[in-house]
Amino acid sequence: MILTLSLTVVGLILIGLYGLLAVRNLFKLIITLQILVKGAVLALVIAGETSGRLQLGQSLAVTVIVADTVVAVIALALAVQLKQQSGTVDVGRLDTLKG
Amino acid sequence: MTLLTLIWLPLLAAPLIYLAGRLAGRAREMALLALLAAWVPFGLLVTARGNAAASFTYGAITLQWDGLALLLTLTALGLGTTVTLYSFWQMAAEPGEEKYYAMLTALIGTMIGLGCARDLFNLWLWFEAMAVTSYLLVAFYREQPASLEAGVKYLLQSAAGSVLVLLGIALVLAETGSLDLAPLPPESSFLLRLAGGLFFIGFGVKAALVPLHTWLPDAHAQAPSGISAMLSGVVIMAGLIALLRVLTLLAGDGPIWGWLLLGFAAANITLGNLLALRQTQVKRLLAFSSLAHMGYMLLGLGVAFLLGSRAGAEGSFFHLLSHALLKGAAFLAVGAFLTIFHTFTQDHRPLLISDLAGASHRFPLVALVLSVAVLGLGGLPPLVGFMSKWQILTASFASQNGWIIALVLLAALNSVLSLAYYTPLVNTMYRHKPAAAFAQATALPISMTLPLALLALAILLLGFWPGLVQGIVNNAAGALFP
Amino acid sequence: MPFWLIILTIVLPWSGAIIVWSVGDHRPQIQHRLALLFSGLAGLCALLLIPLTSDAAAIRLPFGAAAFGDLTFIPDSLGVLLAVIATVIGSLTVLFSNGYMQGEKSLGRYYALVLLFIGSMVGLVLSGSLFFLFLFWEMTALCSYALIAFHSDNPQAVRGGMTALLITQLGGVGLLAGVLAIYAWLGSFDIPTFLAEGGSLPGPVLAAVGFTFLLAAATKSAQFPFHTWLPGAMEAPTPVSALIHAATMVNAGVYLLVRFYPALAGIPGWTTAVILIGLITALMGSLMALTTYDLKRTLAYSTISQLGVMVVAVGVGGIFASQFHLASHALFKALLFLGAGAVIHQVGTRDMRQMGGLWRTMPLVANCFVIGAAALAGVPLLNGFWSKELILETALHNGYPWVYLTLVLTAGLTAAYAVRMVWWVFVGWRTEQFQLLDPGFQVAQFKGIGEALDPVTDSPAPATVHSGSPHPSPQFPFHAPLVILALGTLLSWLIAGEMGHWLAQTLPFHNLHVLPTLELVAEITLNEATLLALMVTAAGMVIWWWRGRILWVWYWFRPLRQAARHDFGFTWLNDRIVTDVKGFAAAWQLTQTGQLNWNMAGIVMALLVILLIIFNW
Repeated sequence: MILTLSLTVVGLILIGLYGLLAVRNLFKLIITLQILVKGAVLALVIAGETSGRLQLGQSLAVTVIVADTVVAVIALALAVQLKQQSGTVDVGRLDTLKG
Repeated sequence: MTLLTLIWLPLLAAPLIYLAGRLAGRAREMALLALLAAWVPFGLLVTARGNAAASFTYGAITLQWDGLALLLTLTALGLGTTVTLYSFWQMAAEPGEEKYYAMLTALIGTMIGLGCARDLFNLWLWFEAMAVTSYLLVAFYREQPASLEAGVKYLLQSAAGSVLVLLGIALVLAETGSLDLAPLPPESSFLLRLAGGLFFIGFGVKAALVPLHTWLPDAHAQAPSGISAMLSGVVIMAGLIALLRVLTLLAGDGPIWGWLLLGFAAANITLGNLLALRQTQVKRLLAFSSLAHMGYMLLGLGVAFLLGSRAGAEGSFFHLLSHALLKGAAFLAVGAFLTIFHTFTQDHRPLLISDLAGASHRFPLVALVLSVAVLGLGGLPPLVGFMSKWQILTASFASQNGWIIALVLLAALNSVLSLAYYTPLVNTMYRHKPAAAFAQATALPISMTLPLALLALAILLLGFWPGLVQGIVNNAAGALFP
Repeated sequence: MPFWLIILTIVLPWSGAIIVWSVGDHRPQIQHRLALLFSGLAGLCALLLIPLTSDAAAIRLPFGAAAFGDLTFIPDSLGVLLAVIATVIGSLTVLFSNGYMQGEKSLGRYYALVLLFIGSMVGLVLSGSLFFLFLFWEMTALCSYALIAFHSDNPQAVRGGMTALLITQLGGVGLLAGVLAIYAWLGSFDIPTFLAEGGSLPGPVLAAVGFTFLLAAATKSAQFPFHTWLPGAMEAPTPVSALIHAATMVNAGVYLLVRFYPALAGIPGWTTAVILIGLITALMGSLMALTTYDLKRTLAYSTISQLGVMVVAVGVGGIFASQFHLASHALFKALLFLGAGAVIHQVGTRDMRQMGGLWRTMPLVANCFVIGAAALAGVPLLNGFWSKELILETALHNGYPWVYLTLVLTAGLTAAYAVRMVWWVFVGWRTEQFQLLDPGFQVAQFKGIGEALDPVTDSPAPATVHSGSPHPSPQFPFHAPLVILALGTLLSWLIAGEMGHWLAQTLPFHNLHVLPTLELVAEITLNEATLLALMVTAAGMVIWWWRGRILWVWYWFRPLRQAARHDFGFTWLNDRIVTDVKGFAAAWQLTQTGQLNWNMAGIVMALLVILLIIFNW
């Protein structure tokens, strides 16, 4: 059970890291980040279980979910405004700041 | 209890500031009041000798006041108060002024909390809270695409880093069953080492270690100038301090962490200076120079971790203070010029070095402050930057290790190189013929010039008398290396 | 008593800097007076220190942390001598500035920096702690940069200031490394401790200290191959040039070598390196001085060359001779620069080809200038003669005949360019006038008059270097500094013996051998070394009158002349390094792409690399 879950975590993380490099749509990028965070949440729960402190792990997981929701909301708000202002959500074209 | 007051006073004041701004248009006075009030518990904590006032425990959560917390609080609160006063005039015409002050005050509160956090998860939580408030501040100019772009990049990169920290926390929990920030036994397992690497990169994003730094120039250049000062002077330092706290956890695990810090030091110093060398935008130039200065601090800290000695850490923490003063003064002075410039051009073009031509005639004080700040950043005496760099380099050289000595020489040469981009800034301001924007600008209000003058005075005072802060710096180093 | 005098000598100029600055530029006359007052008082304090010298620290204050050591000042004779030179000649340049800088903008900044400069130089030479030596060293670099780039509107001036700053800071890295090495291995910043126990350092460390100090000295004193900043520094207002060349900045390098000579002389190859650097510089400087048209540049190259001679003196063990020459040089070079300032102020150009015949219009300046030039050339009975001959004799006596011969050759070249300079500025006539009369007239046809040595066909005349507009005031108001300096140049050698005795008293590590003035004079005049040198000097001066007849020699040396005129390629090398560094930086700028995916790749790659390192440790 732990092994399966751990492998799931690794899978989620790998998918997330790949997505960070490959996804060009800003909204999809935010979702990629969410995948990564879900991996981390799962990892916290597993860690609580294996170390015999499941309650601690669970409370951490819930806190992370809350905190991360705030980040996601802000990210989406900025993304929406950016789409309105510059008309694109392609992060490859959001490169006015460079050099 | 005093500690709790210190942390929660700014945090609880934030919504009140917002309300005061919304209802009565008094956000700025309220913010200044809240921050000035926060100096009272701070003073009590500094003077209190007993431990009772300096810690707070609720269930499994412990907040503990120590030298490092003092250092971070002093920097955040000091620079924060200055920035708040400075913003009075600059942000007066901005829509959403009340949000600015509320977020700024909250940012300061979260950083104080970060300094006092005593377990890994609390550290992460404060870290995340600090990040959230700073995202909103960086993307403050909602109507400017460049500002939003910088904000989005900053947010996504920081969030990616924060996930890595969470994974590290999970690994530590799984391995040890505890989240306390107490040194672990020396023999370290595979998982703990993996966690160390994750922490390094995770906090490193916020601390702008090269090559994780790519968000920094964008965010620093696009944020309101007061926020640029906060970001550069304190926020990236908070990232560094968070990293140091978790590294003490693993410090028993051989010299690897010290060498990693030194490696990043070399990368930061070199790349920061090279990228700044050809910059034409003033704020971007200052942003890149923050990378280099982070590198100097990493150098001293790396030596400290490698040798387990405090001297290097003392130098680095002194440099942290001095960098906050210097970079704060530089960003605020540039911000003053930027405001004048934007009032003149009526658009949001970035301020180029050449735009500063002749600025000293109409604004001698601001020009002097900016000159003092950048020359101090370049490490010239009798300014504080010279003293703090010296302390780092002395401690590093004393290791008598060939690699570290080579790194010291690299740092010193880079310091020379940095003068090549600081001095044109000074010369441009002291041209005789003023640029159009500065020819007929009106004088700046005292709420803006007073903070600048105070910062410049501090830069000079500590340059002549570095002993003034040695006690603080000693204690901060003692918190890491008891 | 020495405690307060030292404090005053440093703090007076510094507080003066703040006060003059805060007076504000709308009250220039008060600024002039105040600057003079504070620099003069500092000079007085320094003079009062002369009878109070001692080799023990007069001031020792704790400075906060171990990394800074104690704030220590030692009023020994070497330090006091240089402090006197810095403050007295410094205040003479301030006095001269009172006239020269009339009507200039930003006077507050000007005087504040000059006073800061003087105070820092005093701190540098009196410091008994390596850390504060380095601190004041860096402060002089800062001041020199700000003063050279004083005319910020002039890109040449800004460039000159930055070159000076970057090159001297490069040397500063050398000094830093040396000082840190001493601290790391000896555990102390105390200079006497290092002089006493330097031998106990591991050999390689001591050698590293010696050569890093040499690097520092070479950059500060504009020695080969770091001399390029000094000609560029000519963009500064002329009193500042006098200050940098005579009173403060360039003396610091020689001071460093002299101060640490007892500890470093034993390093294998160190004295040879010092001698070689000095010789190359002396020779190169005099050749370059012979080929430039710019009056101030001629003087700048001559400073380079003379500093080379001083460095050689240190290398051959003539500590007293080097300090004697340093003092002589400070006097006559300040005189020459201030005289040149008066000329430039009058004529409005620095190009010597556009001067000439000024003897008639400004006789006093001309007479003073000629005294200075004669001292530079080594004409007997002037201070430059005695000090230079003493160096020559020391070189021969200590077993360096090749050094002696090269120095004699340099002396000949020095005499030649001194005559050339005086001739063009004060005696000959303006070649310009002929061109005005007849635009097609080739100046090169005037072989044997003014242009024979420098045929215009060789290289087009540089664009006229205007240093502000001509000031047609015939009553140039400040002759006083010129007269004082001229008297000093004429008479200062009379106290050489006393000075030597005084120097020897408080330098326990240097083992000076000094003679009373009379014996010194006798020894120099009765020495055949002097005879040869005098003959070569005379030949160098006479060549100028015969230049038409020996033109073939001149053409024969054409490649050398071309090389000298182009600074032997070192300016090109400097530019090349700057371009390369800029290109390198520009290449790295490409890494900041602004692409979010690329930024994320940075994070992911760093994670992979760091994990690889951790698990392969």
